[in-house]
Amino acid sequence: MRRLVQGNEAMFFGAVRAGAEFFAGYPITPSSEILMLAAEHANRHPKFKFVQSEDEISAGNAIMGASLAGAKSFTATSGPGFSLMQEAIGYGHQAEIPTVIINVQRVAPGTGMPTMPAQQDIMQSRFGSSGDYYPFVFYPNSVAECYKYTMVSFNAAEESESPVVLLSDAYLGHLNEVVDFHCIKLPRAVRRKRAPLGTGQRLFTGLVHDEQGRPRTADAETCKRWHVRVSDLHTKVSNRYIDFEFQPNLSSDTLIISYGIVSRVLQPLSSQFALFRPIRMFPLLTDEIRRCANDYRNIVVMEANDGQYATIIESVLKRDVHRVPLFGGRINLASARAGLRKALGRMIE
Amino acid sequence: MFKDLLKLERFPTTWCPGCGLGMIMTQLAKVMDELHLDHTNTTIISGIGCTGRIAGYFKLDGVHTLHGRTLPVAEAIKFVRPELNVIVASGDGDLASIGGNHLIHVARRNTNITVLCNDNDVYGLTGGQAGPTTPVGTITSSTPGGCKYEPIDLQNLIKVGTQYHYAKTTVYHQAHLRKCIRESMLWQGFSFVNITGQCIENNGKRLGFKSAYEMLVHYRNTYKKAPDGAETLGDNEIGIIRRE
Repeated sequence: MRRLVQGNEAMFFGAVRAGAEFFAGYPITPSSEILMLAAEHANRHPKFKFVQSEDEISAGNAIMGASLAGAKSFTATSGPGFSLMQEAIGYGHQAEIPTVIINVQRVAPGTGMPTMPAQQDIMQSRFGSSGDYYPFVFYPNSVAECYKYTMVSFNAAEESESPVVLLSDAYLGHLNEVVDFHCIKLPRAVRRKRAPLGTGQRLFTGLVHDEQGRPRTADAETCKRWHVRVSDLHTKVSNRYIDFEFQPNLSSDTLIISYGIVSRVLQPLSSQFALFRPIRMFPLLTDEIRRCANDYRNIVVMEANDGQYATIIESVLKRDVHRVPLFGGRINLASARAGLRKALGRMIE
Repeated sequence: MFKDLLKLERFPTTWCPGCGLGMIMTQLAKVMDELHLDHTNTTIISGIGCTGRIAGYFKLDGVHTLHGRTLPVAEAIKFVRPELNVIVASGDGDLASIGGNHLIHVARRNTNITVLCNDNDVYGLTGGQAGPTTPVGTITSSTPGGCKYEPIDLQNLIKVGTQYHYAKTTVYHQAHLRKCIRESMLWQGFSFVNITGQCIENNGKRLGFKSAYEMLVHYRNTYKKAPDGAETLGDNEIGIIRRE
């Protein structure tokens, strides 16, 4: 059935479709619709549990507990709440807990511009918690993709046994589009491998631990083994999610790299430029980015932040890129054209 | 046998000789044995600090959470698996300071979990700094001039809801400690056991106690049982207060 659906709504439905049974969250603009939908869903489906947490620290930890108890769990938040969840995300990586954190980004830092869209949590999604870890981060750019990539995020979480970050923004979260959920090609939902709490004698801990869960807080070898095992697993899982979109343009010498809502806004420029859009933001699509960028003299990275992904792209391509930041929530074609004109020094049609 | 519930192969524990935590762990294991709680029906959630290591010594699935985050984790587990008995074991710093906001709200929501709070007046593991329960005037490694502030009133914090179950006891009063744990486990709703226990190495010696034994004697001489039916416990009273 075709119907009008909002991005936030599609993410919630995608979570239910993936088999989510637990939501904990704290109201925050522009993600609150997901929390309200979860509350309503729990009201009608007693098996689905909903907690309105006292703060995002609590919500971030509650989804870890729920996951260990056997439920597929998730939360939804925005920048300030995402910051409060970072410690729990690091814990989830160390203790190897599958769960999903949706971040509907708004203009930051601080309280910023709560209703305005931005893409300023790219680095935070990858490096926000302390320590070295290997998170999966996905960023769709349409309502239909919000549905699909929520399912993908849940699957990647189960396969990698780690917290996955699903990015959105105030624009995409509140975007209404006509979709037919039945026509969206979806992967099969991945089932939980690990037995729930109450079945064994295991210890789940945020300390560095051996395979039996025994804390090993002064043993470098155990720590090294953990990094090798976890990063190998994440690499293996990432090979199943080579998700990107590339629109070559042989008449152009310039490739624009953008993602999420910005890539959607840039579509009319595809006749003048080649366009590359990563959907799997992390782990980086290193080979794909290199291959697609090869034929273009100029690389532009356009994003609603001050060059967070551009810095990463430069390290991947080992050459300078043009940075076009879109600030203040004004993500539109006019701002994009003006930014390109400034970066490339020529008129953009 | 209660010892069957413990991972004795991991002994000796990480705790200092004379620490009160072993006595709390023993009484918890005894109550679990009496109530037929084991790895099929029970989970223990602990936080950070010396008390945080308790979960790892029981032969059941346990979760060693982040500092202060036992309660959100425990509550979520109880929501997902209401048939599991969920026990939280943590220290006063973990529960009442860094996790204080969660404590108020989980008590308010009256989630059916039991919290054992090892209240030793200080942050023991990090070297004996003042905590939320440190008595005013106490010299600690972070209050060289004596602690300036009144300790937090855990009893009245737990009484935030219309229903509550609060027990106060000490590690000296072993039979009473066991009774408090047992009645809290059987209570349908949120229950909190505040257990005064000795940290001889990072608190007691600074206060002039020569041994853990002296601290226990001090608890014996200081704490008296509250009269039956008391609605509020006095400063030096042990007992259980509840409202259904």
